Amino acid sequence: MLEFYEPQLDFGTPQSDSETLVTLIIDGISVTVPEGTSVMRAASEGGVKVPRLCATDSLKSFGSCRICLVEIEGRRGFPASCTTAVEDGMEVRTQSDEIGKLRRNVMELYISDHPLDCLTCPTNGDCELQDTAGEVGLRAVRYGFEGDNHLVAEKDESNPYFTFDASKCIVCSRCVRACEEVQGTFALTIDGRGFESKVSAGQAESFMESDCVSCGACVDACPTATLTEKSIIEAGKPEHSVITTCAYCGVGCSFKAEMKGNEVVRMTPHKDGKANEGHACVKGRFAFGYATHKDRITKPMIRESINDAWREVSWDEAVTYTAERFKAIQAKHGRTSIGAISSSRCTNEEVYLVQKMVRTGFGNNNIDTCARVCHSPTGFGLKTTLGESAGTQTFASVAKADVVIVMGANPTEAHPVFGSRLKRRLREGAKLIVIDPRQIELVSAPHIKADYHLPVRPGTNVTVLNALAHVVVNEALQAHDYIAERCDTEGFNKWVTFIADERHSPEQTEQFSGVPAADMRAAARIYATGGNGAIFYGLGVTEHSQGSTAVMAIANLAMLTGNIGREGVGVNPLRGQNNVQGSCDMGSFPHELPGYRHISSAVTRKLFEGEWGVALDPEPGLRIPNMFDAAIDGDFKGLYCQGEDIAQSDPNTHHVEAALKSIECLVVQDIFLNETAKFAHVFLPGASFLEKDGTFTNAERRISRVRKTMPPLSGKADWEGTMALANAMGCDMHYNHPSEIMDEIAKLTPTFNGVSYKKLDELGSIQWPCNDHTPAGTPVMHVDEFVRGKGFFAITEYVPTEERVNRKFPLLLTTGRILSQYNVGAQTRRTNNSEWHGEDILEIHPHDAEERGINHGDWVGIQSRVGQTVLHADVTSRVKPGVVYTTFHHPVSGANVITTDNSDWATNCPEYKVTAVQISKVTAPSSWQARQKTFDTQQLQLLAKARQ
Amino acid sequence: MRESKIDRLVKMVNQISLNMSSNGPADEVAMQVAEHLEKFWSPPMKSLVSDYADDNTVGLASISHKAVIQLALMQKGK
Repeated sequence: MLEFYEPQLDFGTPQSDSETLVTLIIDGISVTVPEGTSVMRAASEGGVKVPRLCATDSLKSFGSCRICLVEIEGRRGFPASCTTAVEDGMEVRTQSDEIGKLRRNVMELYISDHPLDCLTCPTNGDCELQDTAGEVGLRAVRYGFEGDNHLVAEKDESNPYFTFDASKCIVCSRCVRACEEVQGTFALTIDGRGFESKVSAGQAESFMESDCVSCGACVDACPTATLTEKSIIEAGKPEHSVITTCAYCGVGCSFKAEMKGNEVVRMTPHKDGKANEGHACVKGRFAFGYATHKDRITKPMIRESINDAWREVSWDEAVTYTAERFKAIQAKHGRTSIGAISSSRCTNEEVYLVQKMVRTGFGNNNIDTCARVCHSPTGFGLKTTLGESAGTQTFASVAKADVVIVMGANPTEAHPVFGSRLKRRLREGAKLIVIDPRQIELVSAPHIKADYHLPVRPGTNVTVLNALAHVVVNEALQAHDYIAERCDTEGFNKWVTFIADERHSPEQTEQFSGVPAADMRAAARIYATGGNGAIFYGLGVTEHSQGSTAVMAIANLAMLTGNIGREGVGVNPLRGQNNVQGSCDMGSFPHELPGYRHISSAVTRKLFEGEWGVALDPEPGLRIPNMFDAAIDGDFKGLYCQGEDIAQSDPNTHHVEAALKSIECLVVQDIFLNETAKFAHVFLPGASFLEKDGTFTNAERRISRVRKTMPPLSGKADWEGTMALANAMGCDMHYNHPSEIMDEIAKLTPTFNGVSYKKLDELGSIQWPCNDHTPAGTPVMHVDEFVRGKGFFAITEYVPTEERVNRKFPLLLTTGRILSQYNVGAQTRRTNNSEWHGEDILEIHPHDAEERGINHGDWVGIQSRVGQTVLHADVTSRVKPGVVYTTFHHPVSGANVITTDNSDWATNCPEYKVTAVQISKVTAPSSWQARQKTFDTQQLQLLAKARQ
Repeated sequence: MRESKIDRLVKMVNQISLNMSSNGPADEVAMQVAEHLEKFWSPPMKSLVSDYADDNTVGLASISHKAVIQLALMQKGK
């Protein structure tokens, strides 16, 4: 997929969805296109390019530049090809003397007010204005350059990633329209009239002061050098590109990594990428600089204890040292005294190898993955009810939704490219129900207003979901035929009796959830009767002591209303990290092999034993929290942790740190010395997503290729590091390329049987299941029947969390994410994204703040039953009284010092979203923060010694 | 103060029982809880809680106790 650099093909206007075809003649060529297609697009599809400036195929036609004029037989004048729809039998001429003259005249006017600095311009050779001047044959500007012009307009360089040079602007409105139509933020406008017209961010503010979210859609849309990436200004035009997949959130955007040699100079969202269709966010598009940050560690290191300086060693020495220590631990403490944790940031092939190494080399099933602490309840809940641990739809499916429920998710911050898709559908008129303790952006945004915001009290999601189902059942709004045909009758009858009970009514449950009963009733009615109903949910659903119950309640609600099995509906978990779905698919949980098959199944084990050549332990291994407990108890002594920062991301930091300090040999494989690595004895340098081949699977079950753009800085991609360790542990692993690992996965996993790198290259991406029955993949699941056969209505009793407020801890803390930062921040904190979010802050309602004498910006102590930390306060009504909120992107914040050990009853997913706390004004950091600072300084000094 | 190993396991079993408590009659729920433990718990966790339930009911809810006894039978039947 390496290509010489070429701008992506642009058809000028969007594709028409019509199934009716129209045939016309353009410059003597017969072209057949869907009805509703513009003449400009039809010409492009027929291989005829019509010059243009204000048109691009990601935006609706606008008709302002007057460059794309054509002649149409039988019509007077020169219609704009971008705004003229094709008609059957139409005859179009795109070139004639008259047209040429008109285009040159228009072009002369543009160029008369444009700096003629092409040779020193950063987009020289990659500029549509320059190209168009060439296409129309402009040779002179009769008006001269002395008249009024905009050549001295001030340049806005406030944004860290791009500049706005107004002197080069032709006011085509492409940036304004991209901000509206593609991103949905409405941060830009055309200010003034006539000659005074200019692009303006916000109320004549700088880009950084405005509402701009730096998605870069405007930069992508700009046909001149007005909006240009600073990386391009510095490095110049790319010379080749590689198509790969973003390593941030679970949307899994496809990108063209545009390169100069081994240096990425720009990440351009790939128009053919089905997850994102040419759009991106501030993280994916701009925040790639961490990959070459000075903090990268590129050499293996070892040390005896965490109080020793690190010593740089060869890969061989590091791997041999690790294997010897692991074997010695097993000899002394038993086979199950070691294990591994893999990461959803790594590729499918990498996590597959880690679990294979544990099961075959460690001889146990002590493998868990970071999905334990985010979406393990999704796996349990959807497998129980629908039969498969995965979302049901494509992201594009939301374009056909009529009613959307967003629950415990904040798509515009955490899944921004999907958030933009959703906003577009909402602007078209789809109804929106938000179930969230906070007033997330979707509740009220430009041209978006939620029909119902149900501000649920943290910890009571199940009561709201049960109440919605109760209303549907008691008002007889359910999809009777669908249920009769598709669902388990006995289970349904039992469930109906349960849910119809008065204790689940909105009026009864309001006391728990705090949500007005009338709103719950109204929301239930529009979801059940409003057409296609789609549910999108996030960690605000799963990270509770009843997370699995809530997921099952969501599936119940969708089945009850017949909203599974076609486009526009479904149950859609929004996965936090890029490869949460994939890491779960690859057998990273201690109880199941790849493809969600239980380790106790003799048939399944036999299949893997045949391929792997060893006998497998038929019993489940330890989950992450079990590993921590066992470490403190002295039963678990060795841990290989790949790409996951458990010291920062897991709850109850004191407990996690105690566990890590109890481990005799902690091996961390990462690109930075993360918080966990500060407790490690072996550091294996990781590779960023730009340095390796593999695949990620996004929240739509879409498998996409990750392609190497540069050699691994450490000399080994992560899969090679794991393979070396596995072989040192006595395994017999020999892969020459990750494609061979995928071949093995496909051979052993029915849902992946048809997947190969060759097919991925041909199709671009594949949504599993992909096998003989569905060779091109499965965009929508459960179409004719559920994977489990009949859909199962699980009983969803509400069991309140043990984490209760009282006089000592009267407020509930919940946590979340912000647009510019990603999870523990290891990547984004090492980019200019920190200009937007340099620290985590505590949101507190004005009422609660006033009671405590807290003002905006004060230092406040947050005390829970397990710990204390200190943050700055943001007094805001985004949270309701009684609820406080923070993010966890900075280690020093210690957000997890205060979260507890409580976890989901079925999966042990931590209850991050509910912590009883007290807030008080303070003047100094907490004792943990002071200790953390000292420890951090000590560990960085020990690292520095290795590099001397 | 840190909970003992067995206290943690008893708490976990009780939480599972409580969340499954409306699934049906007590014996049916106890079987479902036992199957859950069998499916997701590691052998040392199963052994520890089974050994405990042989001699104790302290801390274990009624359904939990039945479930753990059932779990022990499942383990023995292997």
